[in-house]
Amino acid sequence: MLPVASLLILVPLIFAAVTFFAKTKEQAAGMGLLGSLVTLGLALYAYMNFDSSTAAMQFFESVEWIPSLGVSYTVGIDGISMPLILLNAIVIPLLVLYSWKEEREAPNRFYGLILTMQAAVIGVFVALDFFMFYIFWELTLIPLFFMVNIWGGEKRAHASYKFFIYTHVASLVMLLGIFGLFYAAWQQTGVPTFDIRELIAQFQFFESGMLRDAIFLAILFGFLAKIPTFPFHSWLPDAYSEAPTAGSVLFVLLKIGGYGLFRIILPMLPNTGSPNLIIAMMGLLGSVSILYGALLALRQKDLKRMIAYSSVSHMGYVTLGSAGLVALSVSGAMFQQFSHGLIMSILFMSAGAIHASAGTRIINELGGLARKMPKLAVIMMVGFMASLGLPGLTGFIAEFLVLTFSFVNLPGFVVIALLAIVITAGYHLWAMQRAMFGVYNEKLGDVKDINALQVFSMAVIALLVLYFGLNPSPVLDMMITNSEAIVSLAAAAGV
Amino acid sequence: MALEEFAFLIPVLPALAFVITFFFGKKLPSGGAIVPIAAIAASFVISFMITLGLLANPEEVVSQSVSWFAVLNLGVLIDPLAAVMLSMVTFVSLLIHIYAVGYMSHDPAKSRYFAETALFTAAMLSLILSDNILQLFVSWELVGLCSYLLIGFWFEKPSAASAAKKAFLTTRIGDVMFLTGIIVLTADLLKLAGGFTEGVYLLRFDEIFGYIPQLSALQANVFGFEVSHLTIITLLFFGGAVGKSGQFPLHVWLPDAMEGPTTVSALIHAATMVTAGVYLVARTFPMFIAAPDSLMVVAYFGGFTALFAGTMGIVMNDLKRVLAFSTISQLGYMMLGLGLGAAIGLEAVGVSLFHLINHAFFKALLFLCAGSVIHAVGTQDMRELGGVGKVMPITAATMAVAALALAGFGIPGTSIGTSGFFSKDAIIESAFLFGEHTHNWVPYLFSIAAALLTSIYIFRLIFMTFTGKPRSSYGGHESPAVMTIPLGILALFALVFGGLTQTGFMNFLEETFTNSFVSVDIGSLAEIGGNELVHAAGHEPLFILWLPLIVALAGLGIAFALYYLRAVDLGALASMKNPVYKLLYKRYYQHEIYTEFFSIGVVYGVVAFLAQVVDVVVDSIVEAVGIVTVAASEELRKIQTGVVQTYATVVIAGVSLLIILVKLIMEVL
Amino acid sequence: MIPLSFYLGLAALLFSIGLYGVMTHKSGIRLIMCIELMLNSANLNLVAFSSYTDTLNGQVFALFSIALAAAEAAIGFAIFMAIYRMHDRINLDELNLLRW
Repeated sequence: MLPVASLLILVPLIFAAVTFFAKTKEQAAGMGLLGSLVTLGLALYAYMNFDSSTAAMQFFESVEWIPSLGVSYTVGIDGISMPLILLNAIVIPLLVLYSWKEEREAPNRFYGLILTMQAAVIGVFVALDFFMFYIFWELTLIPLFFMVNIWGGEKRAHASYKFFIYTHVASLVMLLGIFGLFYAAWQQTGVPTFDIRELIAQFQFFESGMLRDAIFLAILFGFLAKIPTFPFHSWLPDAYSEAPTAGSVLFVLLKIGGYGLFRIILPMLPNTGSPNLIIAMMGLLGSVSILYGALLALRQKDLKRMIAYSSVSHMGYVTLGSAGLVALSVSGAMFQQFSHGLIMSILFMSAGAIHASAGTRIINELGGLARKMPKLAVIMMVGFMASLGLPGLTGFIAEFLVLTFSFVNLPGFVVIALLAIVITAGYHLWAMQRAMFGVYNEKLGDVKDINALQVFSMAVIALLVLYFGLNPSPVLDMMITNSEAIVSLAAAAGV
Repeated sequence: MALEEFAFLIPVLPALAFVITFFFGKKLPSGGAIVPIAAIAASFVISFMITLGLLANPEEVVSQSVSWFAVLNLGVLIDPLAAVMLSMVTFVSLLIHIYAVGYMSHDPAKSRYFAETALFTAAMLSLILSDNILQLFVSWELVGLCSYLLIGFWFEKPSAASAAKKAFLTTRIGDVMFLTGIIVLTADLLKLAGGFTEGVYLLRFDEIFGYIPQLSALQANVFGFEVSHLTIITLLFFGGAVGKSGQFPLHVWLPDAMEGPTTVSALIHAATMVTAGVYLVARTFPMFIAAPDSLMVVAYFGGFTALFAGTMGIVMNDLKRVLAFSTISQLGYMMLGLGLGAAIGLEAVGVSLFHLINHAFFKALLFLCAGSVIHAVGTQDMRELGGVGKVMPITAATMAVAALALAGFGIPGTSIGTSGFFSKDAIIESAFLFGEHTHNWVPYLFSIAAALLTSIYIFRLIFMTFTGKPRSSYGGHESPAVMTIPLGILALFALVFGGLTQTGFMNFLEETFTNSFVSVDIGSLAEIGGNELVHAAGHEPLFILWLPLIVALAGLGIAFALYYLRAVDLGALASMKNPVYKLLYKRYYQHEIYTEFFSIGVVYGVVAFLAQVVDVVVDSIVEAVGIVTVAASEELRKIQTGVVQTYATVVIAGVSLLIILVKLIMEVL
Repeated sequence: MIPLSFYLGLAALLFSIGLYGVMTHKSGIRLIMCIELMLNSANLNLVAFSSYTDTLNGQVFALFSIALAAAEAAIGFAIFMAIYRMHDRINLDELNLLRW
């Protein structure tokens, strides 16, 4: 069997290196497409050979790296990471196709960074060693920083620095937590190791309750700022809206914060000093994010900023569902990550297409675009409907699972989140009505519809949203298997 | 029978028709209308055959389930309740589709129209035959989506886009309540069942109904009141029904929904969408009857809506708006009928559904006639119409039939009468029984007063539109046969359906909850809910039996005097100076209260506060950290003078200080 | 024999004079002279210890140090010559291009 987990990192990385040396735009885009297609093939191969009935690691590889520090090269895929890898592998080639015909400076760097990003994100998902995990975690910053800084909008410098420094500081706090974990475990067992699963297993044996809480909170902060939840969200609207379309989509695929919750936070949670307090806090942050993001999205004038705030709202479901700590609420949170990645890709691609052809993203300056851009209107409608949680599309499955099964443990917070549903529908429809319907704004001149490649890439994602909305089992089953394992840990500890 | 195996095709065929028409409709003749028509016709045949089978053997319902995701399932359940709804929806929808071939013939986007109406029908059919509450909700939302798309069909008209949004958002408020109800129900079931069992579909109706006694026993404290969980769940479900079925206070979207093509209005008002709320309450009736106070709430809301909408119906000048308020009012009757279950038990479902079916025929007919007028004349303002009856005799005649059915003309005690007569009188008489039994006379008074208003507004419409002299110059002609034939068929049904099926229909629906799929004892459930049932119907005083007809005749008389004979000058009465008229014409200032005060004032106020204060503060903290850092470094870097001697001095001073410190520490230690 | 402390005291005095000069004088030439003074005080210490402990190590180091001082002075003066050609004087306070 192929060492898929390693190849999934290596292939995009190698293609990225080659792409940086491409001479022409066609070469660069072609290399980008080829690399991402090979990655997609690998991801599909992994998915085909994946056994969703077990929560154990599959495609496991482990080689010693720095034995004196217990650092090793350990990778593996399980039901938590598989869907996210699949998401990345599917969207990136479509993203390359989407941006195929756009004119921009330095296309070789552009596509190279996209592939680097893919390698880094997949690296985070497959790494089972904190050392590697952190390296890939920080590596994701670099392509995003340059994406925003080079090809971004007017305030790109400010947005890129803000994003970089903010999330980097949060990552450093997390790094402190990782070190604490590492040293405390070393002291405990006498053997240094960075193995994520081993360290999490050792976590419960630390004597000092304060140490455990400090480690836990430091790591949690790193993840919450990356997801992001209210009140750590303020980098997001700037970064999402200033980034070029491809950058926004890459941001959307950056699901490492939520992934960290499932991989690291939830297994550690039962052994903290006051798990119930932390669950309540996470539930509160999640539900407040849902409501807060929705309310702010209602007020945005810029289409992309609106989508960015709606992203804060949607990611709140991930936090809330994790805090719900019922197998199905946690799998709902996982599914929300998957679904959100697909849906937001459509939305940002739509917003990007509108900006490219109409020249503005300010909702009130648009109007009646459906007449001039009928293809976009249909696809965008699917995206918007999925985003507002229409049944039959993926968003509903995730939201339904999260809300319903979190209600078992956290009824109050679910009620807060429910308030947001009407508002969510409100801002989506408002934006749709102003931008796409009504009388065509003649000031926009002659607006062209999206090209065939864009139609193809967006339609594929839209069809996936529909497919997984009608039949979520292909990814949901493995999520449930793993969430049951996570939740049984908590149940064993009596939470 | 092998046909039952194909029950799942009933919604699937129109859904496929949607796909085909959406992508290939433009290449097909008349916008691909033939595809949805064929699909819905096939669905109708399947539904009708299954209904016939059920009529012979009501015990053997059609029930199929497949696992969907997690512990939830998709399934088909065709019991008497679903069967009559399916037959009605497919039949009415089929006629409306045929009619639309003529009505939409000039519209360039007609393939989109036919695709969306096909999906609309598919969603409604899936709603009706779902065997679990989740699938019902999913279809429920899809119905909402389709109504959004269809009301906003002419999306370039700002008013249409805005009405579509309003419809979606208003019903969404109800949908959230419905969803909350499902969430509470699921969480409770999970607790009661003690986790999941393999192969048990938690949200299927038979499971839910099995847990009713335990659900009723769970108590929650809401604002200091001890409330049964079942009451909370059912009231939340009813909240969903209020939104979908246009009950007060969420009825505001329905009159605005007139912005779509008239055929869409006919679909929404007769066959799909608005009846979904009534159907939901009927479908979960065992829960409602076992929940203390829930049915009482339903009865009061229904009765009030019937009256409330009627008062607005009499002042509207727009042909379609009058019909819209009439729909709200009639839906109020249906809800009232269901609410009366607190006294008459399962009979309430029969009474209410009977009115629903009859209403579907005559309301579809009313809208299609109105569409025929609009199609030919080009305006829908009744003040500009008049004398249309001479130009369009078939339309006028069928519309008159529909009006008679709506007002409920018939002879009590016989089986002579229009469809509306049998069903509406049944509800009013049940309301009387309810009043007699529980001493709550308010619903009965509401229903009688609403009956008077119904008669006035519908005959006002008839007289203003079809009689007298034209009040503006319009050219008109009778509509083509593809439009008038459906009118004729519907008129026939509006006239005779009620009389023919009256008792059989009620008995058939009584079988809904005792069959091979689920078997509940309504009597004992009613005891749980504290509802005492009466079984002695049918010996009301003669006056009570005749009263509905009397008020209907009175309404006809008033309308005849005012709008045909013009006996009284209405100029002073019907002017904005008359505060009552103004209140009614402004629709009780709902727009001001809902949109301007609540949506814009309250919600936007909160949002403005969040955006301008909270988010700015949160963001400022982040930005401030950066600014402070930069400012501090701006000051601190001035230490670097660039003069080597300063550095040397500082180094010497530092070294000296260090030596002194070390020395001191050594001595202390 | 003169006690070691005398040599050390002298060297400390010389070092302090040199240090004072380095810290206060603005002229480059004087600066280099003061640095030489400090180096020589160190040399004095080396030689004194060498003689006191009866080994030659210290004297060898002192020779290295003198050679180093010569090299340093040569480079230093070369730099100052270049500065003098540009500014017509060697005022150390004006040479603050590296500040901030």
